[in-house]
Amino acid sequence: MSRRTAFSAQTLAVLAALAAEPSAWRHGYDLARETGLKSGTLYPILVRLADREIVQACWEDGQPAGRPRRHLYRLTIEGLAAATAALAAAPAPGTRAARPGRAAAPRRLAREGP
Amino acid sequence: MEHLIRMLAVTLRKAARLLPPGRREWAEAVAAEAGQVPPGWPRLRWLAGGLWLVAGEATMMRKMVYWLGTGAVAAAAAWVVWLSWRTSPAADAQTVTDRVRVLVGVAALVVVPWVGRRRGWFGPVGSSLTARLVRVAGCAGVCGLGLTVLRMDSHLAPGPHGPGPFSLTHEIAALVLLGIAAAALVVVKVRWPDADPSVLWGIAGTAGLLMLFVVPLQALVIGYVAGIFAVTSRRSPVADASLAIGVLTGLAAGLAIALAVYELNTPTDRYVDLMLLITFIATLLFAALAGAAAAWLLPGTGESQAVRMARTQQGLLAGSVAGAVCGLLLTNFFVVAVFMLIVGPVLGAGGGAIGGAVAADHPLRSLPVRSWAAGLFVRF
Repeated sequence: MSRRTAFSAQTLAVLAALAAEPSAWRHGYDLARETGLKSGTLYPILVRLADREIVQACWEDGQPAGRPRRHLYRLTIEGLAAATAALAAAPAPGTRAARPGRAAAPRRLAREGP
Repeated sequence: MEHLIRMLAVTLRKAARLLPPGRREWAEAVAAEAGQVPPGWPRLRWLAGGLWLVAGEATMMRKMVYWLGTGAVAAAAAWVVWLSWRTSPAADAQTVTDRVRVLVGVAALVVVPWVGRRRGWFGPVGSSLTARLVRVAGCAGVCGLGLTVLRMDSHLAPGPHGPGPFSLTHEIAALVLLGIAAAALVVVKVRWPDADPSVLWGIAGTAGLLMLFVVPLQALVIGYVAGIFAVTSRRSPVADASLAIGVLTGLAAGLAIALAVYELNTPTDRYVDLMLLITFIATLLFAALAGAAAAWLLPGTGESQAVRMARTQQGLLAGSVAGAVCGLLLTNFFVVAVFMLIVGPVLGAGGGAIGGAVAADHPLRSLPVRSWAAGLFVRF
C-alpha cells in the first residue's frame, strides 16, 4: 500500500472515475473517454496504481465475439480508501492544479516521493 | 491512414515483447482496446500512446542503449589516444603537448564518472532519456575535441594558432593545483560537513580559474566534462525540458554560425571582425530563445514570485547549456574558435537569463483541459 497522500491531477481524474463505481470493472478506453486522457497518459498511471496495489487488473473471462479480450481495472479495498482520501484532499475542480490535462502538479509531486 | 494504423498496431505488439514479463500485458491491453477506438486519428493516437507506454516502461532497453553509448565513447577515447601516439614522432614538442592534452581529456572522462558513481554533483545519471543522451553525446563531443587538437597539430604551422610549446612546469603546476583543490574539497567536506556549499563552489571555482591560466585547454576540457556530468546528474538543477531545449538550440546556433563562417572565410581573413560579431550575436539570440522556451515550459504552481524566479533560473541554465554546446560544436569545427568554450556559456547565460526573465513576465496561456502529447509531461 502506498504511503503517498498526494496525486497528480491526471491520477486524481482516474481515481475519481474508478471510485464512481468501485465494484465495477472498467476497461482502458472507457476510462480514457471519461477522463479525457490519452492512452499514453492513462496507462502509465494505471501501471503505477497497480504497482502500489491501489488498482487491481485482470483480463476479461472467456473470449468475446468479434473483439479481443479486454484488460479490466477496479480499485482495491485499500485503493478505494486511498482514492476517497485523496479526492477529498484534492483542490476544487476548475483550479489549475486540478486540471487533468495540465501537467503542473505532477512534476512537483514527483519530487515529493513515496 | 489505415495502412499506418495497421503498421503501428503490429509495431506495438512486437514492441511489447521488449518489456519485462510483468509489464507486457499493459502494452497488450492498449493493443486489445485499439479496435474499440474510432478509426482514423483517434485510433492512431491511441496506438501511439501504447508505443509511448512501451518506451517509458522499457527501462532495461534505455539502460542498455546508455551503456552501449558509453562503450562507444570509451572506444572513441581509446582511438584518439592511439592516434595521438601514431601521428607524429615523440621528439616533436607539439606532439607531446597534444598527447598530454588528450590524456588529460581521457583522464577526465574516467575520473569524473568514477566520482559520479556515488550520489553527488556528478552522478548518478538522471533517469530520463534526455539526460542519458546528453551525457553520452557530450562525452563524444569532448572526444571530438581531442581529434581537433590532433588535426590542428597536423594542419597548422607553429604560430599564434598553434598549440604552443610543451611546458613541463605548467603541467606539473596544474597537477599540483588540481591535487590541492581536490584535497581541500575533501577536507572541508569531512571536517565541516555543514559547511555552506558556496565555500565548496568557491574552492572549485578558484582552482578552475588558476588552472585556466596555467593550462587553458586542459582546464577547459576538465571543466566541460565536469559540467556535462553535473547537468545530467540526478541532482542537476536543470530541468529535462530546459536541458533538451538548451542542447538543441546550442546545436542549431553552432551549425548556423559554422555555415556563416564557411561563407565568409577568405584566405586574407578579411571578414574576421564580422564573423566574430555574427558568432556573438547569434549565440546571444539563440540562448535568449532557449531561455524563453525553457521558462515557458516550466510548470507554474505556487507563489507567483517564486515561479517567476524559477522560470528565470531555468532560462539562465538553458541559455548556458545552449552557449556551451554551441562553443563545443564550433571548437570541433574550427579549432581557432576555442575561445567560444569560455565565451559561449557566458553569452548563453546572459541571453538565457534575459529570455527567461521576459518569458516569466509573459507566461503562455494555460492549455485547455485535456491530455496532450501522449503523456509527455506526465509523471506519477
